[in-house]
Amino acid sequence: MATLELSIQHEVAAPVRRKRKLGLLFWIASLWLAIILALAILAPVLPLQNPTDMDMLERRAAFSSEHWLGTDGLGRDEFARLIFGARVSLTVGLIAPMIGLGIGGALGLLAGYFRGRFETLVVGSMDVLLAFPPLVFALAVTAYLGQSIPNLTIILGVLGIPAFMRVARAATLTLARREFVIAAEALGASHARILLRELLPNVILPLLAFFLLGVAVTIVVEGALSFLGLGVPPPMASWGSMIGEGRDSLDVAPRLAFLPAAGLFLTVLAFNLVGDTMRALTDPRQGAL
Amino acid sequence: MVAFVARRFLYVVPVLLAVSLLTFLIASLLPGDLAYVILGDQATPEKVAALRHDMGLDQPIWWRYLSWLGHVLQGDLGRSFRTGQTVLQAVSERIPVSLELMLMAEFIGLLIGIPLAIACAARAGGAFDRFMTGGAFAMLSMPSFLLAILLIYLFAVELRWLPATGYVPFTEEPLANLRFFVLPALTLALAEWPGIMRVLRSDMIATLQEDYIALAKAKGLKPSRILFVHALKPSSLTLVTVTGINIGRLLGGTLIVESIFALPGIGRLLVGAIYTRDLVILQGVVLLVACGFVIVNFIVDMLYAVLDPRIRHGHA
Amino acid sequence: MTNIAAAARKRAPIFLVAAFALLPLANPAQAQKPGGSITVGLELDVPGFDPLKVGVYDAAVLTPAAAIFDTLTYLDDKGEAQPKLALSWTHSDDFKTWTFKLRPGVKFHDGTPFNAEAYKANFDRQKDPANKCRCAFYIAAVNNVQAPDELTVVYNLNDPSVNYPTLVSYPNQNAAVHSPTAWKTRGDDYNRNPVGTGPYVLKSWTAGDRMVLEKNPDYWDKDKVYLDRIILKPLPDAQSRFASLQSGEADIVWDDEYDADNIQKAQKDPKLTVHSYTGSGTQPYAFNTKTPPFDDVRVRQALVMAIDRKKMSQAITNGLAKPASNPYGDGSWVKCKDDGALPFDVAKAKALIQAYGKPVEFKTVVTATPRGRIVGQVLQQFWKNVGASMELDQVDQATIPPRAFMRQFQLIPWRIVDLADPDPQMFANFHTGSPVALANYSNPELDKLLEHARVTAEVDKRIEDYCAATRLINKEAIWFWTFQNTYYAISSANLKGLPKMYSGMIDVSRVWKE
Repeated sequence: MATLELSIQHEVAAPVRRKRKLGLLFWIASLWLAIILALAILAPVLPLQNPTDMDMLERRAAFSSEHWLGTDGLGRDEFARLIFGARVSLTVGLIAPMIGLGIGGALGLLAGYFRGRFETLVVGSMDVLLAFPPLVFALAVTAYLGQSIPNLTIILGVLGIPAFMRVARAATLTLARREFVIAAEALGASHARILLRELLPNVILPLLAFFLLGVAVTIVVEGALSFLGLGVPPPMASWGSMIGEGRDSLDVAPRLAFLPAAGLFLTVLAFNLVGDTMRALTDPRQGAL
Repeated sequence: MVAFVARRFLYVVPVLLAVSLLTFLIASLLPGDLAYVILGDQATPEKVAALRHDMGLDQPIWWRYLSWLGHVLQGDLGRSFRTGQTVLQAVSERIPVSLELMLMAEFIGLLIGIPLAIACAARAGGAFDRFMTGGAFAMLSMPSFLLAILLIYLFAVELRWLPATGYVPFTEEPLANLRFFVLPALTLALAEWPGIMRVLRSDMIATLQEDYIALAKAKGLKPSRILFVHALKPSSLTLVTVTGINIGRLLGGTLIVESIFALPGIGRLLVGAIYTRDLVILQGVVLLVACGFVIVNFIVDMLYAVLDPRIRHGHA
Repeated sequence: MTNIAAAARKRAPIFLVAAFALLPLANPAQAQKPGGSITVGLELDVPGFDPLKVGVYDAAVLTPAAAIFDTLTYLDDKGEAQPKLALSWTHSDDFKTWTFKLRPGVKFHDGTPFNAEAYKANFDRQKDPANKCRCAFYIAAVNNVQAPDELTVVYNLNDPSVNYPTLVSYPNQNAAVHSPTAWKTRGDDYNRNPVGTGPYVLKSWTAGDRMVLEKNPDYWDKDKVYLDRIILKPLPDAQSRFASLQSGEADIVWDDEYDADNIQKAQKDPKLTVHSYTGSGTQPYAFNTKTPPFDDVRVRQALVMAIDRKKMSQAITNGLAKPASNPYGDGSWVKCKDDGALPFDVAKAKALIQAYGKPVEFKTVVTATPRGRIVGQVLQQFWKNVGASMELDQVDQATIPPRAFMRQFQLIPWRIVDLADPDPQMFANFHTGSPVALANYSNPELDKLLEHARVTAEVDKRIEDYCAATRLINKEAIWFWTFQNTYYAISSANLKGLPKMYSGMIDVSRVWKE
């Protein structure tokens, strides 16, 4: 979880970069993301084997024409599970940071703009959330609400709120002192207008950059929760839960852990590359600092 | 300065109260009545009702919270129904482990992260910089539960350099103690350094744009001197905050690493308390961990104020 | 010897037990070297030893308990009771009164003399309703314990028990003898400062970490105790636990069949020895017969018939787990010629589901552990094959008992632990009105069989009763069993003298290192 905090203010004070071409890496990364996303979305209609059908006597089978990437510890088709796993990992990984982005972003924007008691209240509640051990939160909420992808997404989303709040608040604080905001205030613009027309478009950029990092972190944290039995309910798979299961077969079939780990690695890397490049291209303060 | 401390203190109390209330609410959400857990196979409805009454579980939640709070204010955090240990005993046994693990992990993380950040910032946008910024974050995608077991197989089973699991207190055998902590701290640090590196790198690039750096360059100072002497300190403010938050987080325990390396830390205590519905321990430990988190943040704020006078004066 | 044992081990676990039983006979003058220390890797944290606090001793508590405490008797390799704190025993003609003569001159670690009064105090404390001990459940059949003189303990039972001495043969929550002085003076702290009469004394203990036991210099049987020191550690993660054994940080580790890869790897490794024992209990599941679709016997039967236990064992445990078709494991004295088990028959199961007419959809409670998940998914697959759809309801361990007792489930996993006598659990699990009669099923015939078995002394007749009860249960399919309780420990090959793991207890109190 700690990693969610990384980009508190530095995303705002983004580094100056020379404008450069998107580069080959960016395109490779985008292509990879496009493929993974397409596979994940189309998984149910693709001619894949059923990812939950077991062949209990064909456990941990090697690569073959029938099972392209072999079978897992319970004799399920590894390739199908990887693709359906991507579906789960990406669903959780994209939606949970959206919750953080929406709620945390809004709170941070308002706190940074209105300041005063409201800000203290928001920052204080976020501190409460931060001071509370996240695993205890996840365990208790799962125990109460039951295990499902929506619940898991909500838990991860809520845990991400403080980080997004901080990013948004820090960005708003710097922007609120800028000339264009002061000018708008002087011209008698309403709070809503200033917030929506002047601040939001500028705050959203660092938030979006942070969002892409949040996606990567969420996918990894979901894996950790799956390892602890708090992740997606079986027989569904996520990349994280597959790594956790594969870990028991490291000796016999290391690929069961390393294939989903490689998928995770490449996807996180790709999200990061795309995120970085996009931020470098769109950062409004580029050159202004 | 006194006013600053006092202000922070006034802020800390409600935060802690809110944490304790949240803990209480969350604990009461946990399914599985303690009375059933204690009674086991002889849990007839009458016995359950009687035990619930004896334990005060039939009281409304606000009343239980207030009476718990009353005891806490008198310094009595309570006693585990299962082990007979007081909360303070349980925490004081385990906090040295979590503390040491956290310090070592953070130390290794900084040791890897800072030099790489400086190297990246020195040539921002260069090939090394681009490779590291991308690669560092992808390092995070290696889940700790996999990384841990790989490290164990490599360093403990194959090479036999380090022990696979276990712990001895530092006071008993300092050297053995450190050996036990290397692998778990490394596992955590490998997830910490990318963040450290990215934060410091960004801030340093910003600092390097400042006029006084240009001035220093113009004066012909050596680049290494500029980087380490002139740029590092002013760039480390965010790093201090982030390190503080990481430390606070790690205080709450790192269940996975503690379990795999069999370290008796706070994480296992907390999760064990949830699994056995040992709510007294759960509430007490969460409160103490939150205190720790708040104190660390407090220290960071002070450090911040010391490093950057603007915060001390301008933030009123 | 070792080669034969190794070869036999590969073939069948039965031979393994035989080979171990032969070892002492074949090699009576084996050098038993005194001294040294070992480290034992357990799975779970030890919560403590006070029965009032911990209620029931789990496998992790039994190992240190076997070193710290003595019991009246112990079980030899043949499963017969032998003298320990009791020197001899007699019974009344109706098997309702058992009289134990105690060993004189034994002292607890704190100097308190061990005598009949102390023994009675232990029993009374557990039985006292005011103490609300979970442990009282397991001594419900004992009316009272008397101490007519210094060295005589008399058990007065409610119903006949032909083999009572085997019930006090291992240091569980009821049979371990604690020092009354210690629990009175220590109060709440006694739980973590246990005092017994056993061969080892608790020296230090860090919660969640090391427990150090040192040899008791005044032990009454000290010539048969070899190690100077035993260190116990909880190593929760199976992979790193095995790695600790391989790297030499642990000398013996607890394991279970879900870690089959490592067990089989150890079996091939000449530096390691695998110990295993099949107990008298099994791993059962209970249907809630009051909720649809399980209010219909055809659905229950269909689901049981859909399970191929051999395949299941293969899938989950590489074939290590032994299928069970009745509640009594190989280690039980109840053996049924005919247990009325429903056969594995997919076609018939499908037909039954179709006859039921409505879609069969339900939830199964499983523990949120890798074990719970893997077993749940395999069952899910079997049931999918016959047209039933099952969803997994993952809960943590502490949620299962309340859900069970409040009947908030459709299908729930339960446990039949290794008790020397089937009565307490069979009666509790299947007699009308018991809190643990999870199936919510009532059948006068079944009740009668259980009541009859309880008051009967003759073993043959009791076996008949229990087998008849099992046939009824299997026919009605109110519970089903998957595997027998099998216990595993892996040690380095130079660790010798480990007794059979009755009740899953790894008793290292009399082992030595070669």
